[in-house]
Amino acid sequence: MTESVPLTWEEVARVYGRKIYNFAYRLTGNQADASDLVQEVLLRVKKGLASYQPGSFEGWLWRITRNAFLDEVRRKNRRPTSPLPEEIDRWDVATSPPADVEYERVTLGDDIQKALLELPLEFREAVVLCDVMGLSYEQIATAVAAPVGTVRSRIHRGRKLLRELLT
Amino acid sequence: MSHPSVLISAYLDGELNRDEVGRLLDHLAACGQCAAELEATQHVRTAVRSLPMMELPGGVVSEADPVVVPLLRNRGFLVGAAAATAAVVIAVAALLTPAPTSVTVSDLNSRFGARVSLDPAFGPAKVVVPEIVQVGG
Repeated sequence: MTESVPLTWEEVARVYGRKIYNFAYRLTGNQADASDLVQEVLLRVKKGLASYQPGSFEGWLWRITRNAFLDEVRRKNRRPTSPLPEEIDRWDVATSPPADVEYERVTLGDDIQKALLELPLEFREAVVLCDVMGLSYEQIATAVAAPVGTVRSRIHRGRKLLRELLT
Repeated sequence: MSHPSVLISAYLDGELNRDEVGRLLDHLAACGQCAAELEATQHVRTAVRSLPMMELPGGVVSEADPVVVPLLRNRGFLVGAAAATAAVVIAVAALLTPAPTSVTVSDLNSRFGARVSLDPAFGPAKVVVPEIVQVGG
């Protein structure tokens, strides 16, 4: 697959901003976290473009996106029960409620989104990359740094779990 | 019979080679269980693919400009700066505002040319008419 590689950060933001947001939204389930993730991804793209080697640009881009998402998940898992002062500041000012509150609000009534959020991360990202982003298995393999056979299995198992969650 | 169910999703996604497609179709023709799984998988695949594409919220990309984001990320800093600026503005305004003027009776006299008194105890002017003394006649 031949891909024209955007050369500038602005082009990446313009061409892929919305797609990154949709990937981020389906992974996180809420607008605030998805917006933060888009900004983090664009920062990483800006830093990474200089050393980008021509290849599967989208595979590279989605790999950055899922890595940023996983880093955020790890960061939240490390967060102590009572927020640090810096966190208190942030919630006071940003008018963004904590992610779990936002999660409940936004996904209410959206059964498919809710079911997606219940999938294990590796199944969720594979299904979203395939069905929401429309990536080929090979591109997904690049994005998640796994063999194509593993991707194939994760997508099928993810869909099977979704079926169970939705019935 | 081993069920090649893991091939079902890849088949729907057009990700099987010709041999794999042949193997799966042969199996489906003889296995109601896998045929039902194909149908159910197709249903959930369509459902996920029907999720709407969301619009990118305004400002997300422009805020991702590296010059701006470090400030936005520490929004407490912005609020602190705003509060400090407001305090300075109020202090300067207080210094620049003239002191309240007091009006004296003489000011009013000079401006309006009338004699007034703000003293409620000040009664109407008493006119003392000197007694007319008839002299002589």
